Amino acid sequence: MISKGATWNSNSCRIKFARRFVSALLHMRNRNTRPGSLTIEGVRTHTQRIKIAAYLSMAQAVGSRRAWSRAVLSKHGSRARRHSRMGRSSVGLKKTRVIRSYPPGELGQAKKLRQLVPGGKTMDMCSLLEETAHYIKCLATQVKVMQTLADNFSK
Amino acid sequence: MEPNLGTIVRSISIGPNREETGLESLQFREEIHRLMTVPPENGSSFTELLQLPETQAMELLHSAHSDEVVPVPLSGEPLHGINDDHKSYLPSFNGNLTFPSNKVLIERAAKFSVFASGEHSPETSSVPSDSSANLEKVKSEPAETDSNPNSSQLLVSDPAVNIKNQRSEKRKEREKKGKGCTKKSKIEISQDAEKLPYVHVRARRGQATDSHSLAERARREKINARMKLLQELVPGCSKISGTALVLDEIINHVQSLQRQVELLSMRLATVNPRVDFNLDSLFAPESGSLADSNFHSMVSPLLWPEIPFNGNRQQHQQQWNFDALHRPLWGREEDNHTFITMENSLLNYESANSASLHSNQLKMEL
Repeated sequence: MISKGATWNSNSCRIKFARRFVSALLHMRNRNTRPGSLTIEGVRTHTQRIKIAAYLSMAQAVGSRRAWSRAVLSKHGSRARRHSRMGRSSVGLKKTRVIRSYPPGELGQAKKLRQLVPGGKTMDMCSLLEETAHYIKCLATQVKVMQTLADNFSK
Repeated sequence: MEPNLGTIVRSISIGPNREETGLESLQFREEIHRLMTVPPENGSSFTELLQLPETQAMELLHSAHSDEVVPVPLSGEPLHGINDDHKSYLPSFNGNLTFPSNKVLIERAAKFSVFASGEHSPETSSVPSDSSANLEKVKSEPAETDSNPNSSQLLVSDPAVNIKNQRSEKRKEREKKGKGCTKKSKIEISQDAEKLPYVHVRARRGQATDSHSLAERARREKINARMKLLQELVPGCSKISGTALVLDEIINHVQSLQRQVELLSMRLATVNPRVDFNLDSLFAPESGSLADSNFHSMVSPLLWPEIPFNGNRQQHQQQWNFDALHRPLWGREEDNHTFITMENSLLNYESANSASLHSNQLKMEL
């Protein structure tokens, strides 16, 4: 079986994400058999889909423990997609109706950070910083895995 | 006589412990015998002697008591602890003081007063030196001396009863002084408070103590702790001081990571369909012409893989490596066949490569 190298904690996140992401890529590849992706637009949509798949698989690997992963899953989940396709934008409406409490403190940077971190709009400063720390860690894992994948493919 | 008393005073003031009260009582008895041999000079001078230094006699008691209180770890309710110490200490002292003869009592009080007068001078000499214990004593002294003159007059008439009255008043002042103690000598105690299971925030010296500011202070400390964690996570952030710059750095880092994800996804997008397409083109008999057409049409997507990973990731350099263009074309079919087995090898590759490949690029450890 696969040998798990370093500590259990750092590898479990990585391995979970890698598995999910690779399976998502395979699934996408099997779906997208037509050679329509030569065009720039095709490449762009394909890129977008791969990006969403990456974020989704990362959020699924993390689970519902973190607020940002929950936000990502609710935004890009299959049910949310069905809702948006059917035209029912209830999920979106709910999000815009949430009252944002602007806590006093750092002004401009906190706003930017909230835009960057998924689900950061409805968090107070304290939890925002905590979520940012975890999010940075997971993003780093994601980048590492994807880079290894891309390097393996391009060899 | 006085130097002897002074030495005894110093020995008492050095070690104010519960065990030393026994020693004190022994020394008191010695002094009482000594005093009994010496006849009292005057009633008036004795009362004078009683009045003024009596305040400091009580002061001596309380100063001895204060040294006892501060080293005790104040767990939970320090004020109650002080009161308990106070109450438990005094009855024992009452027992010592209630002698059968009034004369002995007066002499003992006189001896206290002399002690106190002897004690007062070293105190006043040490006032210029800033030690927190002395500061407490000095600051509480005026409070006590202010309220004491009226009580000291009562003491002249009936010492046995009025000592108790005075002591009850002293007890209240002791509480106030205790509260002052807990507020002033804070630094060690706040550290102990942090180890408690519940969140117990104390006011530090010179800070407001209402509930709002306490809550805000706790919140600020939480935020500062999280900022420290973030600083450790983001490379190159520990040198920066100041919240705004650190936050800017964190934002830049998150943005760069997201950009990297986008680049990599683009790379993977171009790699993936190329698998099928190149396979078809490779198996087609007209490989030469098709390869040429492929080459021209796919120049732009094929360039993407070569952008980052020979050198720096952050730069968007377009490297026209045609050798690299040709190599993947052939490597593609191998990848296609061994895709699933590659997953396993990929994971092994990752764990082996995580240190070497990515350390120079990302400088991050998970």
